[in-house]
Amino acid sequence: MVYGRDDATLWTLLTPPTVWALHFLFAYVAAAMACGETPFALGPVRVAIGVATAFALGLIALAWRQAYRHWGRGADRPPHDAPTDEDRQRFLGFATLLLCGLSAVAVVFSALPAVFLSDCR
Amino acid sequence: MLTGRPVHAAAAGRPGRVAVARRAAAGALALTLAACSGPQSALDPAGDAAEAIAGLFWVLLAGAAVIWALVIGAAVFALRFKTRPISERAGLRLVLWGGAVVPTLILSVLLVYGLRLMPLLRDPAAELRVEVVGEQFWWRVTYRPEGGPAVVSANEVRVPVGARVEFSLDAADVIHSFWIPALGGKVDMIPGRSNRLALRATRTGTFRGVCAEFCGPAHTRMAFPVVVMEPEAFRAWLAEQAREASPAGNETFLANGCGGCHAVRGTPATGTIGPDLTHLASRLSLGADLLPNDAASRARFVAEVDTLKPGARMPGFGMLPPAEAAAIADYLGSLE
Amino acid sequence: MSGATLDRDAARDEARRTAQRQRLRAAWNLSRGWRYFANVNNQVVGLWYIITAFAFFLFAGVLALIMRAQLAVPENDLVSAATYNQLFTLHGTVMMFLFAVPIFEAVAILILPQMLAARDLPFPRLSAFGYWCFLIGGCFVSGSIFFGAAPDGGWFMYPPLTTDTRLSGIGTDIWLLGLSFIEIASIAAAVELIVGVLKCRPPGMRINLMPLYGWYVLIVGGMILFAFPPLIAGDILFELERLANWPFFDAARGGDPVLWQHLFWIFGHPEVYIIFLPSIALLAMIVPTFARRPILGYGWIVLAAVGTGFLSFGLWAHHMFTIGMPAISQGFFSAASEAVAIPTGVQIFVFVATLLAGRAVYGTPMLFATGALAIFVFGGLTGVMVALAPFDWQAHDSYFVVAHLHYTLIGGMFFPLMAGIYYFHPFVCGTMLSPRLGRWAFWLMFAGFNIAFLPMHITGLRGMPRRVFTYPENLGWETLNLVSTAGAFTMAAGVLVLLWDVLRPGKPKAPRNPWNAGTLEWVAGDPTEPWGIRSVPPVSSRYPLWQQEGLLAGIDAGAYYLPDAREGRRETLVSDPLDATPRQVLRVPGDSFRPMVAAVLVGGCFILGTFHFWIAALLSGLAGVGAILAWLWTGTAVIPEKPEKDAGMGLTLPLYASGAASVGWWAMFITMTGDGTAFISLVFGYFYYWTIHPVFPPAHAGGPGLLWPLLAVAAGLAGWGAMLAARAANATGRVAGARAALALAMLFSLAGAAAFLLGPWRTGLDPTHHAYDAIVWVLVIWAAVHNAVGVLMQGYCLAGSFAGKMTPTHDIDLRNVTLYGHFAALTALTTGAVVALFPLAS
Repeated sequence: MVYGRDDATLWTLLTPPTVWALHFLFAYVAAAMACGETPFALGPVRVAIGVATAFALGLIALAWRQAYRHWGRGADRPPHDAPTDEDRQRFLGFATLLLCGLSAVAVVFSALPAVFLSDCR
Repeated sequence: MLTGRPVHAAAAGRPGRVAVARRAAAGALALTLAACSGPQSALDPAGDAAEAIAGLFWVLLAGAAVIWALVIGAAVFALRFKTRPISERAGLRLVLWGGAVVPTLILSVLLVYGLRLMPLLRDPAAELRVEVVGEQFWWRVTYRPEGGPAVVSANEVRVPVGARVEFSLDAADVIHSFWIPALGGKVDMIPGRSNRLALRATRTGTFRGVCAEFCGPAHTRMAFPVVVMEPEAFRAWLAEQAREASPAGNETFLANGCGGCHAVRGTPATGTIGPDLTHLASRLSLGADLLPNDAASRARFVAEVDTLKPGARMPGFGMLPPAEAAAIADYLGSLE
Repeated sequence: MSGATLDRDAARDEARRTAQRQRLRAAWNLSRGWRYFANVNNQVVGLWYIITAFAFFLFAGVLALIMRAQLAVPENDLVSAATYNQLFTLHGTVMMFLFAVPIFEAVAILILPQMLAARDLPFPRLSAFGYWCFLIGGCFVSGSIFFGAAPDGGWFMYPPLTTDTRLSGIGTDIWLLGLSFIEIASIAAAVELIVGVLKCRPPGMRINLMPLYGWYVLIVGGMILFAFPPLIAGDILFELERLANWPFFDAARGGDPVLWQHLFWIFGHPEVYIIFLPSIALLAMIVPTFARRPILGYGWIVLAAVGTGFLSFGLWAHHMFTIGMPAISQGFFSAASEAVAIPTGVQIFVFVATLLAGRAVYGTPMLFATGALAIFVFGGLTGVMVALAPFDWQAHDSYFVVAHLHYTLIGGMFFPLMAGIYYFHPFVCGTMLSPRLGRWAFWLMFAGFNIAFLPMHITGLRGMPRRVFTYPENLGWETLNLVSTAGAFTMAAGVLVLLWDVLRPGKPKAPRNPWNAGTLEWVAGDPTEPWGIRSVPPVSSRYPLWQQEGLLAGIDAGAYYLPDAREGRRETLVSDPLDATPRQVLRVPGDSFRPMVAAVLVGGCFILGTFHFWIAALLSGLAGVGAILAWLWTGTAVIPEKPEKDAGMGLTLPLYASGAASVGWWAMFITMTGDGTAFISLVFGYFYYWTIHPVFPPAHAGGPGLLWPLLAVAAGLAGWGAMLAARAANATGRVAGARAALALAMLFSLAGAAAFLLGPWRTGLDPTHHAYDAIVWVLVIWAAVHNAVGVLMQGYCLAGSFAGKMTPTHDIDLRNVTLYGHFAALTALTTGAVVALFPLAS
C-alpha cells in the first residue's frame, strides 16, 4: 500500500497528483456521459462530482499526513541535501507535501465547473 | 494575382455612427482602438459576446503587462543591479508567495470569472434561427423565421440588430469553423454533429466572417459578408429574398447545365449541390466574399472558378463562346 | 621509508595508471574510417542526433521564411495555395516531431550520462537504432516537399479532410507512416533515458542529490510513455481508414472525426510540456552556475516538474474549445489549464530567487536565459488568456494562437536551447563560442522574434485566421504582416550568426570547466578522450565539484570506481533507483552496424508500405525483425566469463543481473507501460463510440460472439501460466521441464491469437461497414498480434535454452519475456471482456 509506509518512495511522491488525475477523469467522464443522454440531467452528476471532490481531498489529506511524517514534522528545513537516508526521506516528504498542495488546488479547480455550470450547453 | 476587391472592404472603412461617436469620446484610447478596428476585428465589437470578450481581453492584457514587468524586472535586477544577495529564507518566501500563492489566487479569480461568463455567452433563447452549412468552400444559409417560410441563400449572413439569433451549424464534407469576430466567438462545423451558436448584434453595419478551421486548398477563399440591419429593413429584405425569380433570359444558363447544381427558385434550375442563386445579384460579394459583385466579376468567376477557388467542385467555364458567357453573366446580373 | 622507495612507488603507480588509461581508451575507442557509422557510444550518437535535429530546424525555418515572404503583402502570389498548405503543414510537423522532441533526446543522450558519471546509457545500440530511425523517417517526411507530395492537412491532420483519399494525397500517408516510425524512436529514447536516470547513477547519488536535469528527464520520459502511444493508436486507426476504408472517423458510418482530435491532443498537449520541460531543465543547470550558488528550492523544482507532468494530461481539450463541447466539459479543461500555470510559475520564481540569492555573473548563456524568461513569461500569460474558454472562442485558430504558441515554444524551448548551446559548447567541442558574436546572435534573434510575433496577437484578434495562404486588403492586416515578415528575417539573421560562430574555425580552446560549474558533466576535460569519465566518483552532494574537495584530482587519478577495463570491455555502473547503491557492473555492447541495418529494414517496411508495395514492405519488415533478433541474440544477455569483478575502491560487483535487478527488466516494464497506454487508447475509442451512439453495439451487429473470444482469453491465460511454469522450472534447474513449458506456451499463445481473430470472422463483422465492427476488429487484432509476438519471444527463449545462452542462473530473457507475458495476458483479458462481455452488459 502507498499509505502507511515508513519509507517515502517515488510512488508515495506520485500519489497526490494521481488522485488529481483520477478525480479529473471521473468528473470529465461523468459529465460527458450525462450530457450524452437526452434530455441531460446534470444535477446528480454535480452532486457526484462534489462527493468525489470531498473524497479526493480526503485522500490528499492522508497523503499530506504521511508526507508530513516523512518530512520529520518540520524538524529540519530544506534543502535536505545530505547524503543520508534521513535527508532522502525528508526530501521526498517535503516534495510530496508541496505536491499535496498543488493537487488539492487542482482538485478544487476541477470541481469549480460543477459549481458554476448547471447545464450542458 | 487577384485584382478583384470584395465589396465589404469599402463598407469596412465606415463603421457605424454610434461607434464613431464613442471613439471620439474615448480620447487617447482612440488611437489604440483605431489600431484594432476593422470589419473582421474581435477588438472592434458589434455584438454583446464580442464586447464581453474584448473587455475581458483588455483586463487580461493589463494584468499580464504588470505581471510580466514585475517578473522580468526582478530577473534583470538580480543580474544587473543587485548589490547584495538576499537571504535563502527570503528567496524561499519569494518562491512560495510569488510562484505559488499569488498565482493561485489570481488564477482562481480568473477561472471563476470565465466559468460564470460561459452560460451568458451561450444563452439559447433565440428570436431568429439561421441554419448554416459549411461546404468546400462556401456557406449554405437558410433563414427560418418564426411563422414564415424558410428562405434559402448562400455566402452572406444578414441579421437584425438587437435580436438574439441562433445559428445551427453543420458541415457537408469536412470540418469548417463559423467565425464572425465582430459579433462573437467561433464554433466548428463538424460532419455528423450539429452545433449551435447564439449571437446578438448591438450595432448595424457590414462585417466579415470567415472559415477558421483549415478545410482544404481554397480555405483562404471561404469568407462571407455579415450585414447587421435595422429590424424593419431586415424584415423587408427577408421578404424580398423569399420571392421567386423570373426565368427570363435563363436559356444559356440552363443549356450549359448550371441548373444541375444551382437552384434559381421559380425556374427549372433546382440543383442543390452548389449555392442557391435566386437573389445572387442582391448580394454584397461573389464566391464567398472573394470578388465584388459586378458584371465583370460575375463573368470572371464563371470562367475561372477553378483557379480562383482551387479544389472547388464547380469546373471553370472558360471554354464557353464569349456570347454564351456574356448571356450567363447577364442572367446572373438580373437575379436581384 | 626512503626517498628511493617513494620514487619507485610513484613510478609504479604512474605506470599502472598509464596502463589503465590505455586499456580504457582501447575499450571505448571510437570506430573510425568506414566503420564510423557503426559507433553506438552516447557521445557520438548524441552529437549525430543534435546535428540532424538542428538541420531539420534550419529546414523548417526556411519553410517559415517562405511563408512569411508570401504573407508580406496582401494577395501575394509568390507560392500557390497548394504549396503554402504543404509549407505550413511541414513547418509544424518538422519543428514538433523532427526538432523539438528529438533535440531533447539528442541533448539528453549526450549530456545525461556525463552528469551521472556513467560511461554510456544502458542500451547504446538502442540509442543508435533510434537515431537511424529518426534520420530515415525524418528525411522521408521532409523530402516529400521536393516532389510536391508533402502532407498538406495541417500538422494535426483533422479528418475527414485527411482521411478522404479524394481530398488528400500520398502526403498524408507519408505523414502517418513516417511519423509513426519516428515515434517508435522517441519511445525507445524515453525507455533508455528513464532507465539511465533510475539505474545508472554514480554510487551515493541518492534521489535527493540528483542533478535537476535528471529529474526533468525522468518526468519527461514518463510523459512520453503516456503521451505518444495515444497518437500511435490514432495513427493506426487513421491509416486503416485511409488504406482499408475502416470508418473510424467517418460520421456517416458510425465513426466520429472528433475521436481523432481527442487522440491527437491527448498526445499533443503533453507534447508541448515534453518539449518545454527538458529545455527548462537546461536553465535549471545554467542558472545555479551563473548565480554561483546551488539552486534555491530544489524541492520546489521537483514539485514543478512532477506537477506539470501530471497536469499537462488534463489540458488536451483546450485545443477543442470550439467543437461544441458542453460548457461543463470545457470548464474542466479550462480549470486544469489554469492550474498548470501554478507549477510553471513556481519554476520561474525558483530561477529568479536563485539569481537574487546568488552573486550573479553574466555570460552569453545567461543572456539567452533572460531572453527565454522574457518571452516565455509572456507566452505563459497569453496561455492563461486562451485557457479561459470564452476568450479562446475568439482566439482559437487565429493568429493570436500562432503568436501564443510561438511565444511558449520559442521562449520555453528555443531560447533555453540556445542558452544550452552556448553553455555546453565547450563541453562538447572543446572550444569557446565568441561572446561578441553571441550578443549579436541574441539581439538579432530576440528583437527579430518579438518584431515577428508580437504584432501577430493583434493580427489574430483583428480576425486573421491561421493557415491562409494570403489575405485581402483593407482588413487592417497589411502593416502588421509586413512587420512580422521583417522580424522573421531578422531572427533568421541571428540564427545565421550563431551558425557561423559554431562552424568558423580558429575558436579559442576552452579551459576545463570554463563556467566553474558544480555538476559532474564538467569533469570532462579533453573531449578527445573517449571514456567519458576516468573513474566514477562516489557522490555525496548536489554539486560535487563545488562541495566535494579534491574530487576532480581523484577522478583523474583513477582513484574511484571502474578506473580500468581489465577485460577490454565497455563497462558502466548500475545502481538502485532510490539510493544509488552500486549493484552491478554492466557490460554495454560495443560498436555495430546491426542497429543501422535493423533501422533501414524496418524503415523500408514503412516507406514501401506508404507506396503500397505490399510484398516488398512485408519482406523488408520480416528482414527487419530478423535483424533485430540477430542483434539481440549476439549483443544482449551475454553470459560473462566470471560471475563478478572488482569495481574499484574495494567493491566487488556481479557482472550479470536478472529480473527486477537488471536494466533489461526495467526497459521491458517501461516499454510495456507505453504499449499498454496505446491499448488503453484503443479501448477508449471503443467506449467513446459507446457514449456517442444511443444503441451500442449497433443493432445490425451481433458482435464477435462469446465462444471464440472467451476461448482466446482462456488460451492466452494458459500460455501465460505455462510461461510462469517455465520460469519457475528453469530457476530450479529443471531445464527440460522449462523447455516443455515454453513449447506449450507457444502452442497456447498461437491458439489464442487464432481464436481472437476467429471471433469477428465467424460472426461476419465487416470492418468497412460500421465503426463498431472496425473497432472490434482492431482490438482483437491488437490482442492477436501481442500473442504472436509472445510466441516469437518464447521461441527465442527456447532457442536460447538449447544454445546455452539461457541457463538456470542466467535467465534475463526468460524473466523479461514473462514480464511481457503479464502485460499480454492483461491485454487478452481486457480485450475479451470488452468485445465479448461488455455488449451483454450494455
